[in-house]
Amino acid sequence: MEDSRTIETATMKMIEKAKKDNVETAWDRAEKMKPQCGFGETGVCCRICTMGPCRIDLVGDGPKRGVCGADADTIVARNLIRMIAGGAAAHSDHGRDISHTLLMAAEGSDYEVKEPEKLIAVAKVFGVETEGKDIKEIAKETAIKALEDFGRYEGLTLYPYTANEKRKKIWEKNDVWPRSIDREIVQIMHQTHMGVDADYVNLIQQGVRASIGDGWGGSMIATELSDVLFGLPKPIETEANLGVLEKNMVNIVAHGHEPTLSDMIVQASQDNELLERAKAVGAEGINVVGMCCTGNEIVMRHGTRMAGNFLQQEAAIVTGAVDAMIVDVQCIMPSVTQVASCYHTKVISTSPKAKIPGAIHIQFDEKHAYEIAKKIILEGVENFKNRIPEKVHIPEEKSQAIVGFSVESIIKGLDKVVIASAQPTGTVKPLVDCIVSGVLRGAAGVVGCNNHKVQHNYGHVELIKDLIKHDVIVVVTGCTAYACAEAGLMKPEAKELCGPGLKTVCELVGIPPVLHMGSCVDCSRILILLNEVAKYLNLDISDLPAAGAAPEWMSEKAVSIGTYFVTSGVYTVLGVCPPVLGSKNVTKLLTEDVEGIYGGKFAVEPDPHKAAQLMIDHIEAKRKALGI
Amino acid sequence: MSLFQIIFTGSKQALSAAEGLVKKAVEEKGRDHKVAFPDTAYSLPVIYAATGKKITNLGELEEVLPIVKSLIVEEEILDKALNAGLATAVSAEIIEAVKYATMETPYSAPCAGFVSDAIIRSLGVPLVTGDIPGVAVVLGECPDAETATKVIKDYQSKGLMTFLVGKVIDQAIEGKIKMGLELRVVPLGYDVTSVIHVVTVAIRAALIFGGIKPGALGDLLKYTKERVPAFVNAFGPLSELVVSAGAGAIALGFPVITDQTVPEVPTLLITQKDYDKFVRTSLEARNIKIKITEIPIPVAFAPAFEGERIRKGD
Ligand code: SF4
Ligand code: SF4
Repeated sequence: MEDSRTIETATMKMIEKAKKDNVETAWDRAEKMKPQCGFGETGVCCRICTMGPCRIDLVGDGPKRGVCGADADTIVARNLIRMIAGGAAAHSDHGRDISHTLLMAAEGSDYEVKEPEKLIAVAKVFGVETEGKDIKEIAKETAIKALEDFGRYEGLTLYPYTANEKRKKIWEKNDVWPRSIDREIVQIMHQTHMGVDADYVNLIQQGVRASIGDGWGGSMIATELSDVLFGLPKPIETEANLGVLEKNMVNIVAHGHEPTLSDMIVQASQDNELLERAKAVGAEGINVVGMCCTGNEIVMRHGTRMAGNFLQQEAAIVTGAVDAMIVDVQCIMPSVTQVASCYHTKVISTSPKAKIPGAIHIQFDEKHAYEIAKKIILEGVENFKNRIPEKVHIPEEKSQAIVGFSVESIIKGLDKVVIASAQPTGTVKPLVDCIVSGVLRGAAGVVGCNNHKVQHNYGHVELIKDLIKHDVIVVVTGCTAYACAEAGLMKPEAKELCGPGLKTVCELVGIPPVLHMGSCVDCSRILILLNEVAKYLNLDISDLPAAGAAPEWMSEKAVSIGTYFVTSGVYTVLGVCPPVLGSKNVTKLLTEDVEGIYGGKFAVEPDPHKAAQLMIDHIEAKRKALGI
Repeated sequence: MSLFQIIFTGSKQALSAAEGLVKKAVEEKGRDHKVAFPDTAYSLPVIYAATGKKITNLGELEEVLPIVKSLIVEEEILDKALNAGLATAVSAEIIEAVKYATMETPYSAPCAGFVSDAIIRSLGVPLVTGDIPGVAVVLGECPDAETATKVIKDYQSKGLMTFLVGKVIDQAIEGKIKMGLELRVVPLGYDVTSVIHVVTVAIRAALIFGGIKPGALGDLLKYTKERVPAFVNAFGPLSELVVSAGAGAIALGFPVITDQTVPEVPTLLITQKDYDKFVRTSLEARNIKIKITEIPIPVAFAPAFEGERIRKGD
């Protein structure tokens, strides 16, 4: 049974070690949870008011309506869009923090504008006049405008205006253009309150509106402004998997999401004072490694090594070699402190939004970012000597990877194959040409989490291997990126696993077949890339031979991401079924009818090989429709 | 139609033309009738290099046809498209071989047709030393003789070896271009299939200078791609046949630059509508750097003129 938990050897070793050390992991808890409740699994359990909990009997002659009279359609739709609200809220709060950090950079703090050019581009989206202005002034006005997008009281959010004309018309026509990012989330909470909206179509429509506010709002702002503050990702070499932990160094795992913290941790880890302290406690140095999306943020910009993805967070501690796990927000299992209590590891929480019993809380404050970052690292350094030698076992597995593919660096890379005397530079033309000529059959975005319901990393890796074999270039973010890096799909040699067209492209452009585009909020980079290609071809995103997948998704953020991809025109295959099967109507709306409205739709396919085939069929059908 | 479909269509056209001609030749001359190109030890070089088989008579030539057919697999994926391009090359060689087998003089002045081994050997050293920095295959029809002349003369002045196929030959004559092997401008023939005579130059170069074993197709393609600095200029409307021949060139590693609107493939299939930049784009695409800086003297000065004797009177 344990063998079926992961395809990844280092993790497997740690699962075995956990067993020996008497440590419980997510897989063990999942085991104990079985069988999971069928009402919740199909979305027909409602706890929205205290007349409940109510549940709908789908098969027998039990209740077909809740106490208030809500039927399965209403309950399923309400539950689903509350998931969207959760996801959109998480991303958007992240975006708000970054916007606020930009404001602080403008007003004087440990942060600064690293990419003035990008700032000017973002300022234009917000209608900020840049001519003849000081960069700090531009930063300030842009940050304020960005913050306004979260809570504007008139007009519409501004970032979605960057979409292609056809897409904008679709949103306008269906009245799903987000008015303000927060408002749509709040409205979901209102609309799903007991006794408000009972129309599943109307409910889903509001979910759509909030998700667009996430993808083309909160997440996009988070990504764009992170680039401004922390630098534009460029191709860089790194290593991934638990083997990046070092026996003789202080191991600091940065886990969570927001680069405001992790970027500072990376900077502060170079501090001489800390390095000397590390030497004094007998370590060779300080080894900061990343986990989950905050790990993606720092690997994209600094090449910081990638320790592991969501389901590896406990495994990392089980190595016995993590001196501090620094966390901020999102996807941090509360169990980490429990696991840590079996070793010497200190879990340090930093956000007022996310405290974990058993963790040391050192509140991060953007105003004194560098000093606090140092203080946090020092906890880890001092903890080095507390390691329990007989409990330390670092698996040797780690793989080479090339990462750092922002839209900007992809376009720059494409310039390598431009014949300057005949073709323009700085555009997506080479990518478009490869696709139109058929050398590449299409492009796919594979994103999302880990989920014990899917063998760890199996869904990601198998699906992606099939796609690249069929000459579909793959871009990834989030925990999918770790799965790919660990499986060696992000090194140049991975071209040997590709079809002849993609292999040729990899050789010509000098890229791996799977491009790491960043964290969960960086899914917005995928939107931008798709949108650029659509604009170049004077088409809409839904016309492109492209598809998306989330083979191992688990979080509410993933629901929001999936929804904004579909409603941006992308066919999206889910490897884990969302809790909607309790309503035939909602299921049909999401997997069929929605295509007629937005051009994209959901499909559910747990078998990654079949899922890949669905995506390939979709891509080929789109090619045919375009006559290419 | 998608680019790959155009290629498959062209390959099938080439194959059926080859089948028709072979059938007719067999009917007229019998299977034992001799097939050979003049002055070569490499039989039909494309077929020999690809399969290791030497073809001696029409009967053996007939047996090659199913091989060509097997190369055309209509699956829309790059290697299948390139294979289809190679199939077109083999079909072209078959068609040209039938010409040589059944006609007294398949080619006459100004067209050279098949290029002898001796000539290829003489080209070897200057190609290696970079004296001949590249091989241009100019085919089709330029919008006018003036454009054709300008492009060809430009290659000539840079020392490239230029082979002409199709109406561009007449345009070069009209433009009073001095032609001949020593002048590095060689008109091959008017039919598209005569382009195969420059392909066999590249292939024999791989066999002679690269020591590539006949039948080792992968090694052959690697050698031509890395060591033979050739490229194709395709002017004027492109038939399916020409596009599929172009895919054959790309399979050998030779980029195709055209003045037509086509689905471009980065670095391999490029549209250049500005004729003034045509030469520059071609050299850039094949990554050819000209060794000798152009000397600004009124007459074109380049190694291509070395073979030209300057008489006192001039
Ligand atoms: S809102 Fe309706 S269905 Fe939900 S718990 Fe209350 S009574 Fe039951
Ligand atoms: S991909 Fe999923 S699990 Fe991983 S960090 Fe993002 S939301 Fe969390």
